[in-house]
This record gives sequence, structure tokens and C-alpha cells, in this order.
Amino acid sequence: MANPPFSALFCGLLSVGWVAGIGLVLAQPAPTPGTSIPLNDLSSFAAATPNWRIVGAVRADLNKANTFVTDKGTGILANLPADASFGQKYNLLTNLKHGDIDLELDYMMATKSNSGVYLQGRYELQLFDSWDVRRPTTVDNGSIYERWDEKRPDGQKGYEGHPARQNASRAPGLWQHLKISFQAPRFSANGTQKTENARIIRVELNGVLVQDDVELTGPTRSAAFEDEKPVGPVMFQGDHGAVAFRNIHYIAYDKPRPELVNLTYAVYKGKYEKESDYSFGGKAPEAEGATKVLTASMSRIPNEFLIRYTGTLRVAEPGEYLFNLGVPGGGGLLKINNQNVITPGGWNGRSKVTLPKGDLPFELFYSKFVDWAQPALGLTIAGPGVREFAISEGVGGTGEEVAPIMVDALTNTLLRSFMDLPGVTMPGTPADQQRRSLRVTHAISVGSPEQVHYTYDLDKGALVQVWRGSFLDATPMWHERGDGSSRPRGMVQRMGLPVLFLTKLTSPQANWLIDTTGSGYRPKGYVLDESDRPTFRYQSYGASVDDKIRVLDQGKGVQREITITNSANDLYARLISGSNITPLENGMYLVDERAYVRLDDVAGAKPTIRESNGQQELIVPVKGKLVYSILF
Amino acid sequence: MKKLLILLFTLAMGTATMAQESPKEEDFFKILKVTAPEGTLLEVGGLTVLPNGNLGVATRRGDIWIVENPTSRSPFFRKFASGLHEILGLTYKDGALYCAQRGELTKMIDTNSDGKADVFETVYAWPLSGHYHEYSYGPKIAPDGQFFVTGNVAFGDEEWWRGESRVPWRGWTMKISENGTMQPWATGMRSPCGLGIFDGELFYADNQGEWMGSGGIVHVKKGVFVGHPAGLRWTGLTSSPVKLTAEQFDAKIDERRRRDENGRAIKPENVVNETPTLLYSLKDKFPGVDIQTPAVWLPHGILGISNSELVEIPQGAFGPFAGQLLIGDQGMSKISRVFMEKINGEYQGGAIEFRNGFKSGVLRLAFAQDGSLFVGETNRGWGSAGDANEGLQRLAWNGATPFEMRAVKAMPDGFEVEFTKPVDRKSAEDLASYRVESFLYKYHAVYGSPPVNKEALPIKGVKVSADGLKARLIVGDLRKYYIHQLTLEGVRGVEGSYSLVHPIAYYTLNNIPEGEKLTMTDVSTRNSDTAPTAATPVVASKKETGKTGGKPKLVEGQAVTMAKAPTYDEVKGLLTRHTCSACHQANKRQVGPAFSDVAKRKYTNEQIVKLIYNPQPHNWPDYATEMPPMPQVPKPDALKIAAWINSLAPTAGSSSAGVPKP
Repeated sequence: MANPPFSALFCGLLSVGWVAGIGLVLAQPAPTPGTSIPLNDLSSFAAATPNWRIVGAVRADLNKANTFVTDKGTGILANLPADASFGQKYNLLTNLKHGDIDLELDYMMATKSNSGVYLQGRYELQLFDSWDVRRPTTVDNGSIYERWDEKRPDGQKGYEGHPARQNASRAPGLWQHLKISFQAPRFSANGTQKTENARIIRVELNGVLVQDDVELTGPTRSAAFEDEKPVGPVMFQGDHGAVAFRNIHYIAYDKPRPELVNLTYAVYKGKYEKESDYSFGGKAPEAEGATKVLTASMSRIPNEFLIRYTGTLRVAEPGEYLFNLGVPGGGGLLKINNQNVITPGGWNGRSKVTLPKGDLPFELFYSKFVDWAQPALGLTIAGPGVREFAISEGVGGTGEEVAPIMVDALTNTLLRSFMDLPGVTMPGTPADQQRRSLRVTHAISVGSPEQVHYTYDLDKGALVQVWRGSFLDATPMWHERGDGSSRPRGMVQRMGLPVLFLTKLTSPQANWLIDTTGSGYRPKGYVLDESDRPTFRYQSYGASVDDKIRVLDQGKGVQREITITNSANDLYARLISGSNITPLENGMYLVDERAYVRLDDVAGAKPTIRESNGQQELIVPVKGKLVYSILF
Repeated sequence: MKKLLILLFTLAMGTATMAQESPKEEDFFKILKVTAPEGTLLEVGGLTVLPNGNLGVATRRGDIWIVENPTSRSPFFRKFASGLHEILGLTYKDGALYCAQRGELTKMIDTNSDGKADVFETVYAWPLSGHYHEYSYGPKIAPDGQFFVTGNVAFGDEEWWRGESRVPWRGWTMKISENGTMQPWATGMRSPCGLGIFDGELFYADNQGEWMGSGGIVHVKKGVFVGHPAGLRWTGLTSSPVKLTAEQFDAKIDERRRRDENGRAIKPENVVNETPTLLYSLKDKFPGVDIQTPAVWLPHGILGISNSELVEIPQGAFGPFAGQLLIGDQGMSKISRVFMEKINGEYQGGAIEFRNGFKSGVLRLAFAQDGSLFVGETNRGWGSAGDANEGLQRLAWNGATPFEMRAVKAMPDGFEVEFTKPVDRKSAEDLASYRVESFLYKYHAVYGSPPVNKEALPIKGVKVSADGLKARLIVGDLRKYYIHQLTLEGVRGVEGSYSLVHPIAYYTLNNIPEGEKLTMTDVSTRNSDTAPTAATPVVASKKETGKTGGKPKLVEGQAVTMAKAPTYDEVKGLLTRHTCSACHQANKRQVGPAFSDVAKRKYTNEQIVKLIYNPQPHNWPDYATEMPPMPQVPKPDALKIAAWINSLAPTAGSSSAGVPKP
């Protein structure tokens, strides 16, 4: 039986979600440290052809296919193929041979390039320059490539590929981030018979879920091996185009899971609120017996009961284990090897414990006494070489899951909502309130059928974020009372703290204004063009401003055209901010390796990159008109 | 043979009596469909009728529809705008539509006449903190052409029960001009969802909650304070016309900000044995401040639990009620009728039930050009008696005049009741046909209030006008500012000896007029109740009076020992009288949980009684609206209700006391 990943199982059980009617809690596995593959040289890999190099920096040319400019150094694995160098030998195999694995890395595509990451050298997660793609197919970035069978008729030779759920790609020359959770195929004890197919448990591309629990019936096209095995190397494809990798990390899950054996249960009626109540003084259980699963449904009593499980936890691999216990509406106690691992207190308990190898006594209590909560019981285990898995039944949720409310942009689509900016807080926010991220209250999101969208702050004339992929999730706003907010569903490029786009500066060094005080800023709304695309209007410093934002051809980004009438003197525009803004040879700017800024028309004014509060910002004096683009 | 004939005759009479049951509200006012294309989600936040008769419909999901031929069998829907932020009001003016979104007043114009707005002009934007409860309502157009908009308070993080004004003008009414200047107008609003212009003046209806003991309709004059203290935070700003500061308020009114030994905030609970503070007493506490009490209280659980839009009935519509007001209610899916008069320069008046049975929560009302009423509905996030989540319906009058109290007016020595049809003199001149009680609500930081200081008032005489259309009552012990409940169970119409369709009026007596009093020689003082043998009423009233009649009263504690739980029929009257049915149904979630879900919690009867007196809303996290404390329910009644609730538990088996099947 396949084991879906932890997050899918526990979304319902371990988070109470809508209790307050406000926040939608999404279970996001925390990033886990892993083993890194050093990129000081090629020694982590099998003999490589010369197209593979270790370099210090790499840049793509947006106008030249398959071309990288590299700098000497280490830390980046670059593939610079010569023309027509097709063939397996140009691919690169790790020395690492893996079974179940979490693999995480950064990569950069050259223009029009094509590559892939083959798990076990067999199952390809496609890497591709899908910058201008609206609806991904199996050849696109983040897709699972097709399998191939020459014996099939033409046109049907490729089969079983699995396209990415949406195009969450960045432009060539920008660093992208990939997280893959993979489960190897299983074989019979003598190794002759495959008992379970391999699975892509989860793929996140640039922070967006693009694959979720996909079964792989066999190797995909151009695999290094046609057979299937318990382990194999990671293969980076090198015979199709220029690609670069860095920050390659992995966690191998190659140890057997602990097992529960000789499990019995007993259900007691009554209200047991404290651990000291968990002795029953000879009280007879309502029900008892042997069982194979940990589940709350052992009790037919809806409330005020306690289930006690006893058994043996068979641990094959000694080491530190993490237990995560969900006991909604009560308390839980977990004892292993006669020591308390999780004690009652709260509905979720998490604890680490070091366990020896062997058969260890196991005891679990679930006491349920809060009348309005639904009974449920969940227990997950993670350990050395063991991926977090549910040892309890856990599936099915609580029956109170929310049907999501998605907004797509099949035509140009506007939606006003609150917009939260994770990781951004208002300067001067007290430390105890900084966990709450900034909420843009007068936000409008504009979606396009090109699948490139943006959010605009009507209160500041500021571009808040741009993204590629699916438009908005309005569940937080429209489920029940909602909290008034929606969320972008695609690959988001955020612009940091929204500030006034235009400010009067007495000198190019003067500080940028955080709020609108002193500017006389007044929003005037927007006007729609014949295709329902808005041009925003506002007044600031006595000037009337038209702010026209349009999606670039082929969805490569957005272009912004500012027209100012009755412009004040000393007016500056802050085009973008970031940790690092680098001018490029072609007159563009590279922002944090995640986006490009292109100045299309600054009326001859001179742009400046300046430091501000540990950030860099690109500003330009502006009089009547300004046109620039953000490509991402 | 003769005996048999008599028997047959009697049977026939019986049938005839049945057929003569008094008409009900649905016999006069019909709820009709407004069909919309399948999949059109009409969570109505705003309704307005355009000069050409088209209907503008704004939704909480941010769409605006223009409906052509809206009263025909096939209305045509055209999407005028979309993507706006939780629209809760829509108005037409000079070729443009105006709506309040959460954060601004927006003007929308279709400049190229393609049926869709292409200019969305921000008339005025106000700040928000981003709390979900910061809804904004309106606009309504003042006689000078300017716009009134109101804003909800937010709620606290730790003190989640306390309304807060985190940024300027939350909890306020704003007056905004076409060119975008804003005059803060009045404060003290909590959830000012219902706005209406009457007599050229702005009135608004608020919802029960902290500081709001019950819903009511308030005249919003410039500079007034109407009760919720959150908005006082901004009265120090130069543009504020309200004189009262938060500090002055704090010094005289206990806001119940308490902490326990762990430093955690304590939620204020109703104090049963206290001399309650009443809203009108603020007039004495803060002389020089314009404290505005409701012109008409709308008793909680009876005429609504979450009052919404206020509209004037236009001339020619709804027969005898033209010129009066209608007020919707979201939670009870109903509409009540309101009439006002001006005494000593202040508005006051009464309210009577009008029409129940809408399919979702009634939020917005607008009269069509044919005199029927569009009803815009939603219950998302709150629940309502009508269990649909959204809807657009139409209420049409069939032209027959119902036998109703048309209006009640305050008199120097009592009240004058005006009827829509002549009354039967015999019943109307009988003092036993009338009952008058008065009560009020507490003014405190607790969510809601039980009715307090309830008194039965002596009725000393009645004078019925020659045409039988008016009855003037002499009532003793009138109390200024109190709600006076006039119950006319015994009054019959000439036609059919019918009872009133709605026999109870709630009149808010803010002022007692000067003027001529009746002399005792002019009035009837006959009281059939004081006659030696009380005759049973000739005509059976359809209404359950719910009053303790011949049945022996339950004594305290009796219910717990009862061998058999009471039946639904036995508690039905109690559930209505104590307003339980405003929020709960037997087997279905409404605003509150179904009684059968309460039964599943396995409380004892005594525990349920405790929860009636002191509800624990945190035990029901899936329900958005808090239950107010209801200590006014007598313990024997509460125990009887509790015993019935517990009989609904699944384990109670087949002995279940009988619940009407849906």
C-alpha cells in the first residue's frame, strides 16, 4: 500500500483550521537540514564529460539560446554543452545512490534550454525554459516527463507523463528552486519482483506545489537504465541544453520504519483530564481487544472516554526519533520504553526521543473530554533515515474540511481583497507583533489569461507583487465570514514593503517616504480599457498620475507606464528594491537573482542604485513619463 | 332524527369555524422568485432601483449586476462590475452607481454605454486595519446630495469580544461629498448595517452585541453618540463633531476591562442581580453631549437579531402602510414594519412583525416601480432562519387589506391604536382584550442583554372611535424611554371576527406628549376578566397565546423529576415567547446549533438552564453569533425546555417527545 505524505494526511487532523473562522492553516513541512553535495569539484560525480564544469557565477543571455557566461570559482555546477552533443554520456550521475529521498536544489536555465533531474537515473523531473508557457505539458518545467515505447504506433509512443499543475517557472538566467520528495519502488525479498511502483510524493517548484503523489509505473524517456532497482544515482541531464545547479541538498530515507506489533486497546468511559487520572482503579473497560491500527474510532462513545493502547514498538534503527501526536478535544500520553515521550497538554504534542534498537514497550492514551471537538487520533514518526509517516490510521480528516474557492483569470480579472505579505512587517512594529505579517488593506489583484498577475496597493500607488501561474485563492475571504483576504496561487515575486512609488526628494540621498503623509496622496481609482485592463489614477504632490501596468508579450513579465501631469519638481520614482541590485551589460538590472528590471523609457534621466536601511533600491528622477518592465 | 340533524349541523358549524381561521401575513404578502441564470451567486450586499426600473444588485463577492425587467417572469442579468471588496450598499445618482467597499466609496460609470462600468473612481478612501469585521455600509444619499457611509468596529485580539476602533472612523458615520471631502458625522456605531433616509434625515439600525442590548433604529443627527464607545477614540481629532472623549466616558462608565491572576483578560458576563445602567441615563451622566437613544427599539429575538436595511414604503405601495418603514433582519429572515412620529422634536415610534419566511437572511430591501419589494439575501458566516445561503426574492401585495394595527401613537395618558379595518366594538371596548407591559435593555460591555425592569401596566379605560378604526387607551405608569409592549390578543375585526394578523406592537416612548387627556366618563372600563365567570373566547384564535392559562404552573425543580419529557407542542409556546426559536430549530442548524445537537452534549437539565442564563459561546466555535444571556426565562420554563431538549438525544430512543419532521 502506498503511503501518502504526512502533510496530506494531517491537514485536517492536526490543525483545527477554521475554528476562529479566520485563518486557513496549510500544513507546510518545515525545511529540513540535509546532506549537501559539495560543488568544489566534480568528485561527487561519476566521470564527467567536459560539458560539466564547476564555476563561480553564471549568467544567461536572454537573446541567445543555450548560452551562459560563467566566471571562475566554485559552488556552481554548470552544463555548457557543445553543439549536437546528444547522448547518455553527456549526462552526469552522482556517486550517491539513493532509494527514498528528499532532494532540494537551485537551478538556472539558459534561454530555450532543456534539462532534467532523473531520480535513481530513471524517473525524470523535467527542467525547461517554460518562461512563455501558459499551460504546461509534460515537456515543461516541473513536469514528470513521458515514458516512451518504440513498439507503440506513431503518436502514441510517449505515454504517462504528468504535467506540472501550473507554470511556476522563472525566466532564464534567474535562479529557481526545486524540492522533490521521492519514494523508490519496492521489491520482494529476493529482489525479483516489484511489489510497489515508485512515486513522486511531492514537487515544489519555486515554492508552488506542482506534483502531488504521482505513481510512476516505470522509467521515463531517456533514462540511464531501463530496469528498476531499489537504489540508483541522481542523474542531471546534460545533452539537451545549458543548465546550472547549486545548493544541492538531500535527505536519504534508507532505514526501515519502526513497526507496532502485539497491539491491544481498551476503552474507558469517563472524564480523565489529567495524567494522574489515567489509572482506572480496577474499573472495567467498556471495550477491549487486539487491533492492528491506532484510531479514535475504537470508541463508540462520542465524548468523555479514554482509549489506552498497549503494544510493542519494533525499532530496527537506533537513534533520535520525532513523534507528533494529535489528540483533538483532550489530551494524550505517549510512553515508549517505559518513559514518557509526550505528556498531556494541548491537542498536539511533539517530542524527540532517542531509542535503542529492539522491541520496546509502547503505551498510548487518548483522553477525549471537550464536548464540541470531533474525536480523532493521529501519530506520526520520523527518525534516522525514516521519513515522517503516519503510524496511526489518520486518513479521512474530520469531515469538516473546507471546499476551496479558487478564482481563475480566463479573461482579464480584477479582485480587491486584503493581501498579506509573508515576512514583511511595518517598520517600527513592536517585536511581539512581528509574527503578524503586513496586510495590504486597499489591495487589488489583476489577473490575465497570459497567467501573469500582479497586486497593486491603491493606498500608495505601489506594485506589491507579481506572479506567474494560477491566479487567486479566495477561500480565506469567501468561506463563511472570511478574513477579507485572498492569496496568490502561483510563483510570487514580492516587492517588499509597499511604499509610495513617487516621492519628492530634496536630494538623491534623502530617505524614501514610508507613508503618504506630506505627499497629499489621494487615490482616484482606475479606468478599464477595452479588454478590462485597469490604469490606476491618483494624485500626489499636486500632480495627477496615471499608472498603467500591462502584461508583456508571451507573459514574460509586466510593463509599467507612468504618466504625470502637473509634475512637481524633485520627483523620484522607486522602481524596485532588494538585497542586491546588479546592473547588467545590456542595460537591465538583476534583482536578487530572481527578477530583471528593464528601463524602457526614462526620458534621459539617470537611474541610481542606492543603499537604504540595509537594502538597495533603484530610483530615477521623473518628470512627465516613465516606462519600465519587470521580467521574471 | 332531530338529534341526528342537530349533530350534523354542529359538525358543519365546526368545519365552518375552522375555515374562518384568521388570515395570516402570507395571505396578503406573497414571496415571489426573481429568477437568475444558474450559478449566479447572489449574496446580496446592496440593492437599488434605477430610474428606468432596472434593479442594481451588489454582492458580497464583489459583483454588481444590472437586472432588466426585474419584475417580469424572465429578468435579464447583465454584469456591470466585478472584483470589488465585499460590497454592502449600492445607490444610483445622476447616471452613476455608488457603492461602499470595505475601504472606500466608489463611483462607477459606464462611459461607453456597453452595459459595463469602465470608470471606477475612488470618491473617498478611509483607513482600515485589516480586521475581518471592518465592513463598511452605504451610501445613502442625503437631501443635499452628499453620501452617508458607516463603518463597523473591529474586535480585539485577546479581548475578542470587545469592539475596537483601530483606525479613524471605524464605529462612525461619515458624510462624504461628491468631490471627496469627508465630514465625520456621528459615532457609537457597532455594526451599522441598516441605513435609511426618512423625512430627509438619516436613520440607522444596529445589531445586538456589546453595549447594544438589542437592535433598534436610531436617528443619526450630526455630532451624536449612540452608545458603542469604541469610536470615541477619535473624538479628539479636529474634524470630530462629537464632544464626548474616551477618557470622559471611561471615568463614568465601567467598561469591564478585568484580568485574572494570570493576567488574562476576562470576558464580561451578565450580572444578574444588579441595578442596570440604561442607555438613556447617559444623557444625565454626560450633560452637554448629544446622546441619541433609539427612536424605535426592535426587541431582540422578536423583531430580529441582526437588523439590516431600512426603507420607506412609497406612496401607492402596500396599501395602508405607505409612508411607513420596513426593516429587514438577517438572522430571522424576516421584515418588520415601523412607524414613527415626532414628539418634542424627537422621533419615536413602534414596530410590528410584518413578513417572515424568506429563504435566506434579509439584508437589503428596495421597492420596484410596480410597488413590490425586492429582498436581497445572504446568511454566509452568520446563519439564518431561511437556510439558503443567498437569494434575491420579491414581496408583492395582493391588494387585500390585512386586519392590522396600522400605527400606534403616544398620547398624554396612554396610546392611540389605529387599525386598518374597523374593530368589533364588543371586543375593542373590553379592557381584557389589551395588555400593556414595559421593559428595557441593559447598557453594558456584555454581549446583548436580557429585557430588564419589566412591568405590567394598568389599563384604565378605552375609547373606540365612531368608525371603529381607532382605540385610545388610558394606561398608567408610563415610563419615558421604555419599550411599551401592546398586546391586543382579544381585539377582533368586524369582518369575520378575525384576530389581528400581528397582535403585538412595541412602542418606544422617548417622550410623552402634552395635550388633552381623556376623561373617565368618555371611556369604556368594562373588563370581562373581572366578570365572575370568565367566558371562553367565542372565536378560537389561531395564535398560541403561550400565556399561562388554566394549566397549573410548574414549580421549580419539578421538571428534573418528571417521568416523561414534555412534547414539542408543550414547549413550542415557550420557545417562541422566550425567543429561543429566533436562533434555534429542533433538528437544523440556524443561527445557533440545533436543539438536537445541544442534546448530544449530554448536559443535565440543570446544566442547560445554567447555559441559558449564562451561555458559553466558546463551546460552539463553529457558530459565529454569540448567544446573549437570558436570565429572564423563568426557571420552571427553562427546566421544561431543557427536558425537551434532552429528549431529542439519539440515545433517548423511540420515547422522543416528538419533533416536527422537516
